[in-house]
Amino acid sequence: MPISEAHVGRTYPPTQPYTVTGVKIAEFARALGDDNAAYAGGTPQAPPTFAAVLAADAWGPLFADEELDLRLDQTLHTDQKFAWHRPLRAGDDVTATLTIDKVRTRANTAFVTISVLLATTAGESLCTASSTLLHTWPVENEEEA
Amino acid sequence: MSDAIDAEVGTELPGLAVHLTRETLVRYAGASGDFNPIHYSDFYAGRLGLGSVIAHGMLTMGTALRLVTDWAGDPERVQSYGVRFTKPVPVPDDTDGALVEFAGSVTRLADGVATVSIQATCDGVKVLGSATAEVRVD
Repeated sequence: MPISEAHVGRTYPPTQPYTVTGVKIAEFARALGDDNAAYAGGTPQAPPTFAAVLAADAWGPLFADEELDLRLDQTLHTDQKFAWHRPLRAGDDVTATLTIDKVRTRANTAFVTISVLLATTAGESLCTASSTLLHTWPVENEEEA
Repeated sequence: MSDAIDAEVGTELPGLAVHLTRETLVRYAGASGDFNPIHYSDFYAGRLGLGSVIAHGMLTMGTALRLVTDWAGDPERVQSYGVRFTKPVPVPDDTDGALVEFAGSVTRLADGVATVSIQATCDGVKVLGSATAEVRVD
């Protein structure tokens, strides 16, 4: 069970820039059944929770970090928070940078709190998306009761 | 931004009821890129011990925020939003899917920012915990 409090503060390189488009915004708004006028027109803004789509792009390196021994299919997403500086808009080139904020381990489980900072390639902060993940490792050599 | 919103502590937001169907889930999977099969396949959901396909937590979270943005008008007013995913939303394979009901009220007002507390229930079960959004109302 290698992830521990010692990994708090670990950060990964930013993701490749993602260009937000009006077409993607319209698709996402439709998936939420949301016809707010702000998501259409010339320079539409993205529905606020679209930030999760870009934040999830940054999760890859966390699960690829062998030292942590985390697997996405053994992970439950238990909490999600967003704090926005401004909405994402069509035309924004956005990178996502993940940092491990908090680790709490107990028996074969770990609660891992991560934050993903979304920023434009010009360096403007857009949003911080924080998630708490509950990871469970399989119990080997389970003792008989 | 648009005109100030009439908000005080205790203001109830207009309620929202949404049917999440299998089609909704497929659409959200495509739009979000979350193709976890427990959101479209009973086989994979069953393998995780779930009785049926369940909605993406982020779909429930995103839909719940419509309660706030429908009220506030401009989504840019939303400063922060957080939830706990307390219970899954099972989505049956039929015409109506799962009916999820949302309600909310202003619980705090300070410096032009209203804190809205949101309740989300499906079949009487609370599916989001501590769901709170901070919204500029000035």
